[in-house]
Amino acid sequence: MTSTLDKLRAILWRDLLTAIRHRSGFVVTLVGVFTELAAFYFLSRAIGPGFRPGGIEYFPFLMVGTGIYTFFVMSAQAFLSSVQEAQQTGTLEVLMTTSTAPAELVILSSISAFAGNLVNLLVYLLAGVAVFRASIHANFFSCVAVLVLSLAIALALGIVAATLQVAFQKGSALLWLLGSGLWFLSGTMFPIQTLPRPLELIARAIPLTYAVDGMRKALLEGQSMMTMAPTLAVLGCFAAILLPLALAGLSLSLRRARQNGTLSFY
Amino acid sequence: MDRIVFESVGKIFRHRPALFNWLGREQRGETVALQDVSFSAASAEVLVLLGPNGSGKTTALKLISTMLLPDAGSVRVGGFDPRRDAGEVRRQVGIAVAAERSFFPRLSARENLEFFAALDEVPRAERTQRIEEVLRDTGLEEKADTLVMKFSSGMYQRLGIARALVKRPSVLLLDEPTRSLDAATTAHFWTTIRALALQQTTILLATHNFAEAAAVADRLLLLHRGELLANRPVGAGENADALRTFYFRMTGEIDEKICNL
Repeated sequence: MTSTLDKLRAILWRDLLTAIRHRSGFVVTLVGVFTELAAFYFLSRAIGPGFRPGGIEYFPFLMVGTGIYTFFVMSAQAFLSSVQEAQQTGTLEVLMTTSTAPAELVILSSISAFAGNLVNLLVYLLAGVAVFRASIHANFFSCVAVLVLSLAIALALGIVAATLQVAFQKGSALLWLLGSGLWFLSGTMFPIQTLPRPLELIARAIPLTYAVDGMRKALLEGQSMMTMAPTLAVLGCFAAILLPLALAGLSLSLRRARQNGTLSFY
Repeated sequence: MDRIVFESVGKIFRHRPALFNWLGREQRGETVALQDVSFSAASAEVLVLLGPNGSGKTTALKLISTMLLPDAGSVRVGGFDPRRDAGEVRRQVGIAVAAERSFFPRLSARENLEFFAALDEVPRAERTQRIEEVLRDTGLEEKADTLVMKFSSGMYQRLGIARALVKRPSVLLLDEPTRSLDAATTAHFWTTIRALALQQTTILLATHNFAEAAAVADRLLLLHRGELLANRPVGAGENADALRTFYFRMTGEIDEKICNL
């Protein structure tokens, strides 16, 4: 356990140093956050106060939807980029010869990628509340529960992307699908009930839909964990199924890459 | 007890052309990297793998390090099989690869070593001291806090050696370790290799350099087109020219140095 925490600390420190040494990175991210929030703020004003999906004002509805969506996709993207970069520089092969088991290394690396984007999400939500006056009625424990379960699901998606990258050098394809399909189907911009019935059924099979819905309930409506039990149960089931499957797939693809000598192919 | 054992090891790389191959000329096929190779290495022994490009030297090192798995035969490191006990094997093995840029470019040399030392489970209490030691041994003390993106090829190579040494492995694998090093650093490195062997480290070093082989080898493995042509001790008096003559006689390749006389 001590050793794992030490490794996590080393990975977080490496990623923090790398991030702050890309001098313009933080500023660009910050400008991006404010630009996106401003666009949503004026969009909701243009639509008018009469449009209240699920009884929620449209700006906070958009803020939470896009915040959670961006957290999912950008975290998986950050993690995949680190795997691709490690393949291109030859670091991946060396990392796989250290005393740290590949699965442990991948999970710790993905936690680091997700931690960075968690900070971005918090900045995004804080800016929405402080600067653009989004009204929230947060239930802290419900927010944490949704976030933890969403994190587990997002980890699984990131690991699947890494698996595809190692196996077929095509992790970006999954992210493209995430980027376009999920944005449309997961209730990020509008309630999924407005979709045609077949698409609504597909939307209900996507974990991100429940993460977005859960965070809106917890952060904007202040629902308790008891009230949110059905949503939390669905998120829990997705996490319990997807995470072990993703890890098994990764383990298989790493073994195949070691057998075929394709670990550093990109 | 032998620390490394290769028994009839075979490794084949199969090439699958791209999906829309009619646009290119890539061929389906396979490369036999190693064929029925058997050898062993004891504690404190320095084995030099000598052979031309594509002879299977790097493949042999990668099989020991668990980067690759064999297609035939068995590999054992410290009694462990890399297929079943990869974790145990990795704890014993340190590798300096030929790929120069296998580091995080926006970290300094010291920060890179600290990162890899943590993954290699070097105790925190010893980490700083060990890193200072290997930085000194590889002549990187003055560049320890420089971002490695600013490093030259030779400095990358020194850092690769430092990374392999920091975990104090019982098996050290070195792939062309002095390719980009200057003469003084190379001479110092050879002394370090011999000193590590005295501390019971088993060392496998892949090279094309006859002088290097003569300077450090206890035993010579000559690989050619994936086959082990020779496995013999290197005598105390044997110099680079003697090894050169042996190499060309065994491989049947033409020695241009002699042709030009």
